[in-house]
Amino acid sequence: MATQAHSLSYAGCNFLRQRLVLSTLSGRPVKIRKIRARDDNPGLRDFEASFIRLLDKITNGSRIEINQTGTTLYYQPGLLYGGSVEHDCSVLRGIGYYLESLLCLAPFMKHPLRIVLRGVTNDQVDPSVDVLKATALPVLKQFGIDGESLELKIVRRGMPPGGGGEVIFSCPIRKVLKPIQLTDPGKIKRIRGMAYSVRVSPQMANRIVDSARSILNKFIPDIYIYTDHMKGINSGKVGCPLPAPGQATQRQLEIVLKCPMTMDGRHSVRWLSITQSSPEPLITSPGFGLSLVAETTNGTFLSAELTSNPQGQGAAVLPEDLGRNCAKLLLEEIYRGGCVDSTNQSLALLFMTLGQQDVSKVLLGPLSPYTIEFLRHLKSFFQIMFKIETKPCGEERKGGDKVLMTCVGIGFSNLSKTLK
Amino acid sequence: METKDQKKHRKKNSGPKAEKKKKRHLQDLQLGDEEDARKRNPKAFAVQSAVRMARSFHRTQDLKTKKHHIPVVDRTPLEPPPIVVVVMGPPKVGKSTLIQCLIRNFTRQKLTEIRGPVTIVSGKKRRLTIIECGCDINMMIDLAKVADLVLMLIDASFGFEMETFEFLNICQVHGFPKIMGVLTHLDSFKYNKQLKKAKKRLKHRFWTEVYPGAKLFYLSGMVHGEYQNQEIHNLGRFITVMKFRPLTWQTSHPYILADRMEDLTNPEDIRTNAKCDRKVSLYGYLRGAHMKNKSQIHMPGVGDFAVSDISFLPDPCALPEQQKKRCLNEKEKLVYAPLSGVGGVLYDKDAVYVDLGGSHGFQESDEARPTHELVQSLISTHSTIDAKMASSRVTLFSDSKPLGSEDIDNQGLWMPKEEKQVDLKTGRVRRKAIFGGEEDESGDSDPEDDEEMSEGDRLENSSSDETEEEEDAEVTGKVYIADKGAKRQKFEMEEDTEIDLPAFADSDDDLERSSEDEGEVEEADESSEEEGSSAGERDILDSEALEKGSKHSNGLSDRLNLEKTMKKAALTTSDSGHCTAEEAFASEDESEGNSSLSTEEMDSENEAFMRKKFPKPSQVVSGEKRGSESLTDETSDIEDLLKEEEEYKEASNYSTETSVTEDNEEDDDAREELGGLFRVSQPARECKYKADSLDCSRFHLDVPHDWDLEEVMNSIRDCFVTGKWEEDKDAAKILAEDEELYGDFEDLETGDVHKGKSSLDTQTEDVEEEVKEEIDSSAEESAKKKHLDKKRKLKEMFDAEYDEGESTYFDDLKGEMHKQAQLNRAEFEDQDDEARVQYEGFRPGMYVRIEIENVPCEFVLNFDPHYPIILGGLGNSEGSVGYVQLRLKKHRWYKKILKSRDPIIFSVGWRRFQTIPLYYIEDHNGRQRLLKYTPQHMHCGAAFWGPITPQGTGFLAVQFVDGTTPDFRIAATGTVLDLDKSIKIVKKLKLTGFPYKIFKNTSFIKGMFNSALEVAKFEGAVIRTVSGIRGQIKKALRAPEGAFRATFEDKLLMSDIVFMRTWYPVSIPAFYNPVTSLLKPVGEKDTWSGMRTTGQLRLANRVKLKPNKDSLYKLIVRQKKHFNSLHIPKALQKALPFKNKPKTQAKAGKIPKDRQRPAVIREPHERKVLALLDALSTVHRQKMRKAKEQRHLHNKEHFKAKQKEEEEKLKRQKDLRKKLFRIQGQKEKRNQKSSLKGPTEQLK
Repeated sequence: MATQAHSLSYAGCNFLRQRLVLSTLSGRPVKIRKIRARDDNPGLRDFEASFIRLLDKITNGSRIEINQTGTTLYYQPGLLYGGSVEHDCSVLRGIGYYLESLLCLAPFMKHPLRIVLRGVTNDQVDPSVDVLKATALPVLKQFGIDGESLELKIVRRGMPPGGGGEVIFSCPIRKVLKPIQLTDPGKIKRIRGMAYSVRVSPQMANRIVDSARSILNKFIPDIYIYTDHMKGINSGKVGCPLPAPGQATQRQLEIVLKCPMTMDGRHSVRWLSITQSSPEPLITSPGFGLSLVAETTNGTFLSAELTSNPQGQGAAVLPEDLGRNCAKLLLEEIYRGGCVDSTNQSLALLFMTLGQQDVSKVLLGPLSPYTIEFLRHLKSFFQIMFKIETKPCGEERKGGDKVLMTCVGIGFSNLSKTLK
Repeated sequence: METKDQKKHRKKNSGPKAEKKKKRHLQDLQLGDEEDARKRNPKAFAVQSAVRMARSFHRTQDLKTKKHHIPVVDRTPLEPPPIVVVVMGPPKVGKSTLIQCLIRNFTRQKLTEIRGPVTIVSGKKRRLTIIECGCDINMMIDLAKVADLVLMLIDASFGFEMETFEFLNICQVHGFPKIMGVLTHLDSFKYNKQLKKAKKRLKHRFWTEVYPGAKLFYLSGMVHGEYQNQEIHNLGRFITVMKFRPLTWQTSHPYILADRMEDLTNPEDIRTNAKCDRKVSLYGYLRGAHMKNKSQIHMPGVGDFAVSDISFLPDPCALPEQQKKRCLNEKEKLVYAPLSGVGGVLYDKDAVYVDLGGSHGFQESDEARPTHELVQSLISTHSTIDAKMASSRVTLFSDSKPLGSEDIDNQGLWMPKEEKQVDLKTGRVRRKAIFGGEEDESGDSDPEDDEEMSEGDRLENSSSDETEEEEDAEVTGKVYIADKGAKRQKFEMEEDTEIDLPAFADSDDDLERSSEDEGEVEEADESSEEEGSSAGERDILDSEALEKGSKHSNGLSDRLNLEKTMKKAALTTSDSGHCTAEEAFASEDESEGNSSLSTEEMDSENEAFMRKKFPKPSQVVSGEKRGSESLTDETSDIEDLLKEEEEYKEASNYSTETSVTEDNEEDDDAREELGGLFRVSQPARECKYKADSLDCSRFHLDVPHDWDLEEVMNSIRDCFVTGKWEEDKDAAKILAEDEELYGDFEDLETGDVHKGKSSLDTQTEDVEEEVKEEIDSSAEESAKKKHLDKKRKLKEMFDAEYDEGESTYFDDLKGEMHKQAQLNRAEFEDQDDEARVQYEGFRPGMYVRIEIENVPCEFVLNFDPHYPIILGGLGNSEGSVGYVQLRLKKHRWYKKILKSRDPIIFSVGWRRFQTIPLYYIEDHNGRQRLLKYTPQHMHCGAAFWGPITPQGTGFLAVQFVDGTTPDFRIAATGTVLDLDKSIKIVKKLKLTGFPYKIFKNTSFIKGMFNSALEVAKFEGAVIRTVSGIRGQIKKALRAPEGAFRATFEDKLLMSDIVFMRTWYPVSIPAFYNPVTSLLKPVGEKDTWSGMRTTGQLRLANRVKLKPNKDSLYKLIVRQKKHFNSLHIPKALQKALPFKNKPKTQAKAGKIPKDRQRPAVIREPHERKVLALLDALSTVHRQKMRKAKEQRHLHNKEHFKAKQKEEEEKLKRQKDLRKKLFRIQGQKEKRNQKSSLKGPTEQLK
């Protein structure tokens, strides 16, 4: 008679990842309706379908139902399983899109996750793998998720539109998380960076470095920006490009038919690929970019990044401009401040929520819209409310206003982990 | 006798006594060694072996660390909930007596009848909730899960009973609470020695069960049916000072031991369907962990529910204020037991409970201060106004069915259901609202009740006290608001008959006008009783409106007021048709109502309604517009409107669901409710755009700073190590401060404190002369503070220096936990409870009221206060059902073994449920092999389909919870290991086949498979014959379907049977049936029986199991073994030596006739002669035999004589020889002597 945990209902495809991730963690089914219902091209996009497929890979006993048009999604989560997984991400979004959610889920698997993700490592929309490696992993470490097996390795770089990058992410599992008290970000002691160039002249990276340094040197002398020039197979795919936006109407639509959950539940989802993209002339996907990370004395990492426009889209970008703009972005991030940078705010807040029933505190910069929505989702999934205190900057020359987030963990424990 | 000489005393030379004497003797002689051997002989105790030394050190360290517990964060609240004391024991052991005595001991009150938990204040910082536990195993299991302390009563005259052991085992499984044994019936022992023996025996048995040294109390005897005061006092003292170690399950889950239950179901629903699902509210102290609103709970014995609402109430049994007092005043010794009818004044969301019994009379309430007369009048009326209102009826039309309040009240929230009657003995007055079930029906027809009610009504009308007035004012104010809502709802009403909002609420409807008129006419006809009832009805209507209105009260803007004033006139006229006595109020208090709405109601309703997320003001306004629009064109087509409404609903759904607006966190029903009155008019386009916008976590800038400007750059200068540091972190500052500190320290020693005073102070002194006094004091204070700071800093430094190197990992961990605990306490300390509840949830120790919907009606109808009601909070995804694996061991005291697929009742987490487990054992290769039965004395695995419970949780299993058996009832115990959805349990399946063609080592085998495809699946599989020849499947054959070629390590025989061992996965039956024992009728709660086993079913239906014939035992008949003759080949025969050759001479055949000799026939004479000869020969033979015997005897004797002779002869010879040798020897000696002498003589 145990009533199945009452499901939550949402409309629209925005924040799909948050909803599915929180649903998986809380065990509450979620129904998302009206996904691009009024769009000319309704339903789930390719990258979202790929994300759902990834969730299916790492869970056990999940039940996913999508209607014919792909506008309604019902997701009943199973237990997080983990293990060795490989996944080909959609090239429409970067690997960061998938990796961000994996970071949320990975510590609560049954078996330690070791996943190979293939796709676009650096793009303009999502946080790149470099940035996540530099900023998200330290956040994980703060919560006691560390050890040798916590690793994020970039094997190959792939730029849009072709992709072809490869990333290995492995994460240990934890039964419980430590509460954190991060109220003092400390002072920035060094700035590191990575200027990469793929299928362009290696000189590009050096030009980026010079221009970025010219800005940052005014603040701190300890700057080192690595240049990373990938060649050959390691520089991504010579792949077929994406269909143009107008063409996207005949995208690969995945439809999952309602099928009964199998006994083991591992492969409960049957994917039917309706169309295959026709072979296109091969093009290369060159590009370059810069990611900067500022490290403080207290182990806080703030990051900024910029990437060149993908081939065939937008005007060409000068490496000097890119370097300068990226440095300014980093300064902007420093101005926002906080103990966790703006991309990982939601990750830190999630782990605070999932902690023991203890008080966790974290000082953040201004909350990003994504984080604000994440807080709302946290409330609906876990009935948790954060105490939000603004800390005005005052006289100190330490950037903008800060927000002190405080919460009591819900006493989450990893139900998937086997007891031996 | 006397002469028998006494044994002489012999002194002891050994033994302790001798030693002692020896020592004394030595001491007397001043020779004794005072110092021990270690000192006397240090060499003997020196380190002999470094290895042994290391080992012994290791051992001591091991023992030391074994005593450590893993440190946990101390999450006990500052004001902890009462300690749950479970008084447990077999029947007739004295449980109730003990509880009564304990209550009397602490509170000086005597409770005659105890039902349910009783909460008492036992000390300045401690409260107890005492509850009795009977022998129903359901109750035992439930209470063991919530108990902090168990008083285990044991009848000493009888000894331990099964229940005691069962309960101990249950406790062991669900975390071990403190257990204290209490021996009763000790007065039945006549002899002291017997008593002592019994005590000792019981004590030692108890110790083996709990832990050595566990406290066992002795209650020696009864005095006037009660235990002795002194003993109870001692027991009470033990309980009040007891310390508890947190139990894992209890600290990680919130739970409530409910001490009150009320039915809040809409009476109308009950009337229409007596078996409808109920809405109940449960009250109790929250324990364990923080509880969040809307969380999942489990009620053992009932089922899973979602909390629909939770609110905290003032503590009904509060701890005495923290005062410097040595003991409790008599007044503060409180007791609270609503189920037993004891408690103070209780304030609920919707009711007030007054108890005049006991020393504590009345407590003040903030909303109403009842005067003494009022209370008296309240007491004198045995039914409350609401009840009267509810049961009164009004007939609107002459031929219509009378309308009752339940027809109007479709919310049902404000009317509590009380199934307890007024307890006249305790003088407790409750709001008796008899709506439930049969009571309801009887109540309606009861003329007495009606009369009483009318009386009460009159009283109410005439009294016109403050509270009533206020209420009226509020109510009338809200009528108008509700009116608008009603108008909006009008169209719905016509469609939907379920919403029975009375039509006369609307002011300008012709139809209703007429109905009002009719009502008026009727009213005239009716008696005064009716009058009262109509007033009551209006009240109900009003408060109904109140609910509706209050929801939106905040959002109402000025516009609303305007509208109100505009409609005022119309409204009063319309209302006049109805109101009798209160009409005046209505018109007078209109303006007041509005104000009261904004003040009074805001306070009370704010919370609930903020949670309901009502729309923003702008939206409300538009909603208002909408309402007014509909008002104007009310004559238009209803269909159209309905359509429009739907559209709006859609729109509102958009806005509420999408992440853009505030409302998306709400549940669907809340949204509907919201949509009922106001429409959110947000352009759907925009919503859609936002709802489907890009999902990206990056925080993009809208207005980037210009980082080339100097001031912008300066704004972040201090974020870098190169920037300015804070006071307390700047290295230079710290150095300077330290110096200052030491300087000051020296000053301190000399007594000069003022040297370090800051220049600021002096400045202020200079400037503000007139306030010098104050400044002085402040300066003094600051100096003092500084002094203290310095001291603290010095102490810290010293501590840091001192502790360094000393702290172990364990200490660090403990310190960390302690710090966290302090932070947890301090973080929300300064916030008020309302805010705190939002952040951390309802914290343990609060007295909360929990509303639950969709409770089975049996829970209310069959409510038995003796049974504990527990609300156990469930963690994340603990509410879902899945496959659970356990490590299980059959209890060694359980007499049977358990069978796979037999339904069994588990108690895991909060739950008790029946399920069908499969038992398995893990082979060495990790295969989980199905077992038919549990092993006797070994752990095995079990897997079942049931609720997900965290790993490491203990569980127990019982086969039946109904009835009593003399045997031990707990069948198995263990822990949850895993929650894997892809568990694979397999059972062995042997496929057999027969060879039909045998080559050398290859055989063709048939009969194992049915098709070539099946064979193909098993290619390469290992097969074996019964005789042990191993082989492998090679390939399918074409000819007989399913035959295959196989190779073996040896040649098969045609008679061999070939088999293959395979593993077949078995599926776990998805059967999960919660034990709903609380839903059983009163008195039958221990008779819950779920699914029966096949064995039981067979027994019940008298179905005999048809056994397999091959499995039957039969008499063993051994057949005679026949051996065939040995056949030796001819060639071999030839080669054999003759000796070994088979002698194959043909048997002498029959002698032919011609060779046969003819028979001799003798003559008579010859015969005579022959006879004589025979006789003679016989005689001769006899003679000869005799002679032979004699000879034999003779020979024997002769032989004997001869032997004797021989012996003698030998003896003689021996003697002779002896003699001879002696002589010879002597001779030789002599010779030797002479020969020795010879040379010596020669030498001389």
